[in-house]
Amino acid sequence: MRFTVSKTHTTRRWRTLALAGITAAALAVSGCSIQITSQPDPSIGEDTMLINADKGNPLFDRNFNPYITNARTAARWIYEPLILINPLDGAEHPWLADSWEQPDPRTITMHIRDGVTWSDGEPFTAEDVAFTFQLIKDSPELDIYGAWQHLDSVEVDGDTVTLALQSDDTPALAIIGKTMIVPEHLWSDVEDPSTYRNEDPVGTGPFVLGNYNDQQYSVDRNPDYWQADKIEIEHIVLPSTNNQLDTVTRGYDWSYSFISDVSGTWGAASPNNKWWFPNAGVIGLMPNNDVAPFDDVHVRRGIALALDRDSIAEVASEGYMEPAGQTGLILPNQEDSLDPSIPNGGIIEQDTDAALAEFAKAGYTQKDGTLVDEDGTQFEFSLTTANGYSDWTRAAQAVQRQLGDIGITVSLELPQPAGYQQAISNGDFDVAIGGMGNGDIYQAFNSLLSSDFYVPVGESTANNFARYRSDDADRLLAEYRSTVDEGRQGEIVDELQNIVYDELPVIGMYYGGSWGLYNDAKFTGWPTEDDPYMIPQNYDSAPLLTFTKLKRATGGQK
Amino acid sequence: MKYIAQKLGLFVLTLWAAVTLNFFLPRLMPGSPADAAIAKLSQNGPVTEATRAAIEAQLGVPTGSLWDQYLSYLHQVVTLDFGVSYTFYPQTVSSMVSTALPYTIGLVGIVTVLAFVLGTLIGVAAAWKRGTWLDSLPTLTGSFLSTFPYFWTALLLLFFLGYVLHWFPTTGAYAATSTPGFTAEFIGDVLLHAILPALTILITSLGGWIIGMRNAMINTLGDDYVTFAEANGLRGRTVAIRYAARNAILPNLTGFGLALGGVVGGSILVEQVFGYPGIGYLLFNAVIGQDYPLMQALFLMITVSVLIANFLVDILYGVLDPRTRR
Repeated sequence: MRFTVSKTHTTRRWRTLALAGITAAALAVSGCSIQITSQPDPSIGEDTMLINADKGNPLFDRNFNPYITNARTAARWIYEPLILINPLDGAEHPWLADSWEQPDPRTITMHIRDGVTWSDGEPFTAEDVAFTFQLIKDSPELDIYGAWQHLDSVEVDGDTVTLALQSDDTPALAIIGKTMIVPEHLWSDVEDPSTYRNEDPVGTGPFVLGNYNDQQYSVDRNPDYWQADKIEIEHIVLPSTNNQLDTVTRGYDWSYSFISDVSGTWGAASPNNKWWFPNAGVIGLMPNNDVAPFDDVHVRRGIALALDRDSIAEVASEGYMEPAGQTGLILPNQEDSLDPSIPNGGIIEQDTDAALAEFAKAGYTQKDGTLVDEDGTQFEFSLTTANGYSDWTRAAQAVQRQLGDIGITVSLELPQPAGYQQAISNGDFDVAIGGMGNGDIYQAFNSLLSSDFYVPVGESTANNFARYRSDDADRLLAEYRSTVDEGRQGEIVDELQNIVYDELPVIGMYYGGSWGLYNDAKFTGWPTEDDPYMIPQNYDSAPLLTFTKLKRATGGQK
Repeated sequence: MKYIAQKLGLFVLTLWAAVTLNFFLPRLMPGSPADAAIAKLSQNGPVTEATRAAIEAQLGVPTGSLWDQYLSYLHQVVTLDFGVSYTFYPQTVSSMVSTALPYTIGLVGIVTVLAFVLGTLIGVAAAWKRGTWLDSLPTLTGSFLSTFPYFWTALLLLFFLGYVLHWFPTTGAYAATSTPGFTAEFIGDVLLHAILPALTILITSLGGWIIGMRNAMINTLGDDYVTFAEANGLRGRTVAIRYAARNAILPNLTGFGLALGGVVGGSILVEQVFGYPGIGYLLFNAVIGQDYPLMQALFLMITVSVLIANFLVDILYGVLDPRTRR
């Protein structure tokens, strides 16, 4: 090659280039501190709510079949359940069912609400309820809550629906009650309900479908809604949103997501932007109770005593969440059910000496700073968590450090979410990060402790991934199912808490949150810590109650 | 003719290998489509056993032995019917691909052609005027910019031009309120939405074409026939374009053929950042959701178009450079 550049020329040029690069980088870094503000679309009126609740891919599929998991979010605001449940505390609100009784543990009778009409004007009747149950029986793909795992038969007499259960099963009410009712007069002609897109939905809910577009749709107030006097929102607009910058800048009235540094991002974008992050679950360590040495309660308790939950909660959730107790309950939501005899609300404090004493009972002793068994082998295990769940990953790293301090070697396994799900379903792990707790107390303990879900390592289960078994727990859960006496149920819940506290099938660390972001400029009356009437999530059926509580800030339409 | 037959044989063999790999690779990923769907759902709360059963029934998760699945997959490949997507149930794979493909070809395709033409021309000019600012400016900025990761450039452009200055829309292929159709208004809207993603791809890919062309051209400029042409007193532009550039373009042309083949794969990161409804966006979600039918259709489309592009470049090479035929 005959083309060369003189040396000095090159050097000078690179110097200029480097300078330019540094300037650009400095600009980029300073750019990160540019404050992004909320820029609401002026064409969206005072009576209209902009909700960030539906994610397109990135376009929407026009699907309003409430039983398909990929349906549009608003499908579940158009179709209503029999009973509306607050996932925070399991509270049951009468919805399309006006009232209900459980005369014995095998029977539920529901009285259907009077004066409800479908949005096409047809009356809503108990026949529609019976039709819906038959529909999800015939198309098990649609039975997403598993009503027919509990139901035996459904009979209608006037406004009363009698649901016969397969066995003594009082907690089934909460599952069966979630069933969303669809109109018989329109759905009876549907050929294949499991792929039916229901493009023009007709429901009983507070809203009907308005404009529809691949990137945005709206729902309009249903003037004939059975509690129309409580709905002050005229329209709701749902754009297909895909990034968090949009969440902050587009002027949403209601959004839902974990957002880093919420006060500096969402909070700083508008003075009316507020948030409420109630405790909605317990994040903990799931030891594989079927695998040595985690089948030894002393090992599980030793690990529990070695953890500093304050620091784990701080690191994992950026300080938004608190350390969780070892009762299986979500506090403060389920405070009324807490067994007062359990010390400190069930929170296990870090106590290294006690931890070492527990490990000693299991045959592990500290030697030169490492924890070894009787043969002198280092105590080590792998901790599995899902790749991309950043709070879990930070918690796992904190656990790795803290257990490292007392001489346990923890290695992290980070498969993709699907691989993580497969690993915990099949028991292919030593210890995994996982959850416990449920607003419905029976479900919380049933999925945590029931040996019905127990399968050996290598087979797949949908619950009790920790593979815990206990005759006491099974007996208590069975007794709970067969009693309608709430006092006795309370005693059973106390005993179940003690099992979780003493046996540590899952080691609780900190609470998982429900990440409600809202703006009170146009609408007020949002659920808050002082008035936790509903979980602040803006998907599924939960918003149905929230919509009835929201009032127009400017005095409303009435 | 023998040359073409040889290449055709190789093409068919590679195609079968690609189609088969395309079947087995997704199935080697840990977890099943149902696991992926449940992992997604369980972020919103506990998932019961009943929900899992309903989801498996909804997805129609593959049944039968791997061999049976392979046979039905081959049948799907031949009939081009890939059935229903797992992640985006109940949408069919063919409807999703046909919605996404025009956006990707429109965006990535046009920008790829543009980057190739611009880059090659600048490369020619740079080599011809070597040693001047016309050489150093494009080559240095080109090589500097092409080291930026796609997504970083995309995020910077999105943040400054979209969110801070509000010059361009930040997401989607057209405004949420406009109605798709062949109207001037809608087409203008689509173009406006395409500027930022197009700029990203252009910025990061232009440098490669410039440098490739410039270096090849400098080599040919040193050849005797160029000196001979100059000595004959031909005009500078004639020598540059007709003599030097024509021979120097061969390696860039190969790269262009492959880049065109890759266009249908979309640009995963750019489409992801801008929420652009193209193939790259679909592919990303298909992989995350372990959506075998969608993944198979997309990978098949990508491999086949790369193979076809490769095949065409091979043939074209034979025409342009007779030495390769021997």
